[in-house]
Amino acid sequence: MEAIIVLFLTGIIALFLGIYNQPKLTTLVSVIGLIGAAVVQHYPLNILPAEYNLLEFNQVGNGFVVLAILLTLLIVLSGQKEFLEEKSHAGDYNALLLFSLCGGIILIGFTDLFMFFLGLEILSIPLYVLAGSRKGVSESSEAAVKYFFMGAFATCLLLFGVVLTYGATQSFELSEILSKTINSSGNAMLYVGMIFILASFLFKVGVAPFHFWVPDVYQGSPTVFMGYMSSVVKVVGIYAFIKFFHLAFGGLYDFWSILIAVLIGISMFIGNLSALVQTKFKRLMAYSSITNGAYALMAILYPSALSDSTLWVFMLGYGTSVVALLTISMILNDDTDEIASFKGIGYRKPLIGLVAITALLSTSGIPPMTGFFGKLMLFSSVWSYYPWLIVFALVNSAIGVYIYLRLIMTIMSKETATDTKEITVSLTRTIVLVISLLILVAGWLMLLCWK
Amino acid sequence: MELLIITVVLGLISFFVPRNSIKLFGLAGSFVSAAIALIHLINFETGSSVSIFETTEMPFGLTFQIGYDGLGLMMIALTNLIVPIILLSNYNNSATSENRVFHALVFFMQFGLLGVFTAADGILFYIFWEFTLIPVFLILYWFGKGTNKVLLKFFIYTLVGSLAMLLSFIALGLKANSFAYSDLLAVHLPAKEACWIISGFLLAFAIKIPLFPFHTWQPDTYTTAPMSGTMLLSALMLKMALFGMMKWMIPLAPEGVAEIKWLVISLSVIGIIYAAIICIKQQDIKRLFAYASISHLGLIAAGIMVFTKNALVGASVQIVNHSLIAIGLFLVADILESRLKTRELSHMQGTATLAPKFGFWFAVIAFASVSVPFTAGFIGEFTLLKELTKFHFAVGLLSATTLVFGAVYTLRAYQLSMFGAPKNESFEDLRWNEILVFILLTIAIVGIGLFPQFIADLVGPSLDKLIIIFNETTTH
Repeated sequence: MEAIIVLFLTGIIALFLGIYNQPKLTTLVSVIGLIGAAVVQHYPLNILPAEYNLLEFNQVGNGFVVLAILLTLLIVLSGQKEFLEEKSHAGDYNALLLFSLCGGIILIGFTDLFMFFLGLEILSIPLYVLAGSRKGVSESSEAAVKYFFMGAFATCLLLFGVVLTYGATQSFELSEILSKTINSSGNAMLYVGMIFILASFLFKVGVAPFHFWVPDVYQGSPTVFMGYMSSVVKVVGIYAFIKFFHLAFGGLYDFWSILIAVLIGISMFIGNLSALVQTKFKRLMAYSSITNGAYALMAILYPSALSDSTLWVFMLGYGTSVVALLTISMILNDDTDEIASFKGIGYRKPLIGLVAITALLSTSGIPPMTGFFGKLMLFSSVWSYYPWLIVFALVNSAIGVYIYLRLIMTIMSKETATDTKEITVSLTRTIVLVISLLILVAGWLMLLCWK
Repeated sequence: MELLIITVVLGLISFFVPRNSIKLFGLAGSFVSAAIALIHLINFETGSSVSIFETTEMPFGLTFQIGYDGLGLMMIALTNLIVPIILLSNYNNSATSENRVFHALVFFMQFGLLGVFTAADGILFYIFWEFTLIPVFLILYWFGKGTNKVLLKFFIYTLVGSLAMLLSFIALGLKANSFAYSDLLAVHLPAKEACWIISGFLLAFAIKIPLFPFHTWQPDTYTTAPMSGTMLLSALMLKMALFGMMKWMIPLAPEGVAEIKWLVISLSVIGIIYAAIICIKQQDIKRLFAYASISHLGLIAAGIMVFTKNALVGASVQIVNHSLIAIGLFLVADILESRLKTRELSHMQGTATLAPKFGFWFAVIAFASVSVPFTAGFIGEFTLLKELTKFHFAVGLLSATTLVFGAVYTLRAYQLSMFGAPKNESFEDLRWNEILVFILLTIAIVGIGLFPQFIADLVGPSLDKLIIIFNETTTH
């Protein structure tokens, strides 16, 4: 709870600094605020009376909050250069990111449907604005409109589902819903409500059959905010998804698990097949995020997902590699966004090359990168429940390797793209790249800190 | 511990060594690692098993256990002794030998290999197994002539196999509640599950060895790779698969061996004959040696599936022998290719008259390759064929054709490239480093040929243990 207050205040300060045209100071304040929020989350001060505390964080929840803050921090740092170009808006961008993160933290800690809905909206609304922040570009406006309509539609579905669930159980408390559903499993209204909620979640995290908005929105949005959507929003959204279904509908596991398992299978396959033929980098990343979101969602299929570190490690690997790759894309600063223009940058700039190789190998799940450990733990946890899905996921991993390996070969090629511009890596981006490199190579050692 | 650390340290230092002294640094470093392996070899008490590093508590069922027994030590020593020889034979190829990244990659590769041979935990084994792919892929990509298609085929093919192995490890590890080697050994499986699990392992190993229908990545990869890459692949990386069959696949799921035994042995025998026939018609010398490698390794794989003491000893000797011969043959191919700018046998006629020293040493390696008595190949192949004949007469008979075919294609390659009127005007004879490599290889090959008991004593006790485990479960 204190973390949200810290972030909110930081956001307000950032807004005011924006008025005085102080982009560098804004970034500095945001960074300090983010670090402060992480510290406060980890070592709570407990200054608020208990009855105001509608959020609950267990150890895993805390881990996810810290992860979301860490990823946002990396995104703020790597986007700083783009913010500098539009000095008058730097404050707005930082503040909106921080506000959105507040919603994300609420989504991690919710205990009833009110807080859940509040969190979801606070997370989403700043993103509708941010998606359209490249005002001169029509794709950006298209992305914003599309994202807004899809998001609003998903919210309607969600509300409808919530209403039906409330009608069936007479409660907004997750734990009460759970106890009711265990006893009255034959209530049709409850099932309909659950399906609506499921559909809206699938919309929000971009899982088939509701994934089609993802590539367009990601491609149109500015790269920084695409990084935020495909890392932080995915991390938080999937955690909330799992928490919701385990804590509220745990009694109906047999019903929804098979449905979700099939959708996961379809989703990873669609993501991979579409990624195979992409020539634009951001679209490729969008489809890759559909696939990886599906992998992560597999955690919903085993009961102890909320109390162990499996999903956290997977998300650490995935989120960091997304941020690293998009940072590289921003460094390249190529408006056409063709994969071909990545040719040879890794060979020209060894740091970029090293980070790109590590990030891509990590996403494809090759040891000894963090992504491998995430996948390993995820797959071995789900193996006892849905073995066929794991076999299918491994086949998909192999397809994924093909996609990422081609990208590695492009980036590390000895030849360079035809129009070679001078590439400069700013200090903040170097910091981002180095931090992501460390996390990707040795992040799994953080598991030793888990009790 | 220094055994593994030194390669990482050498790899990291390689990035910072001045460009003009990297050649010497690489060579010196690899000799240091070889010396360390020799010290381990000397201090090793026959039959014991040495633990290098051990933790048992890890958060996700992975235990860090590293150690070796006789079999592992043989592979370690092989790796650490082969790497200096590879760097030595590569000494004059300035494109690679004067490159810092290349040396770093070779040392990281060595690290991965040592990890595979020392890992005593399933997941750790898998991690190192996959890790070796990264440096060798980058070596092939940056220093080879391979098209993207060839490289992708190589990487994806081997990776798909590994994923199947990972699945087997997960299934087995969840039954044992741990991935430690000793715990995995203790699991008893119903025959049907064992069959699935062993198939997962088999896919990984069959692709890497490679066995007959899975071999299509290999000739293209070998021919387009730089010489040192080919050597790393054929002399060391493929041996991971044979080692994996002996130490991991069969002991972990012995209940499934009966079902797949005939499949593997038939595939191996088909591979032996099929590859040998291709060799006889082959015009490209590097491709010829690549197919020869399939033929030779098929015999070892068939021998391992028989899983008797003698067969395994024979396989061990043959593993060492094949590494040595592969280095020799691919060095020969590279000498011819780099000086004549062609790999076609028909353009090489009469090289022996122009370069008599080269002609002599090629003959030595060729004879070692066809397993004449007093070379290691004779001991290895003879034992393997004996055991295969004991297992089933037809299998023995068909695999024995490798001796005949081997002689035909090796000597044909020698005749076409060395004898006759010289087609080329000049041919630079061997340089000092090449002669040194050939001498070292010959000493090793003849040494093992005369005194194979050394290897038998080294690996014997650990093979006995594996066979006891195997017999216990299969007779139940």
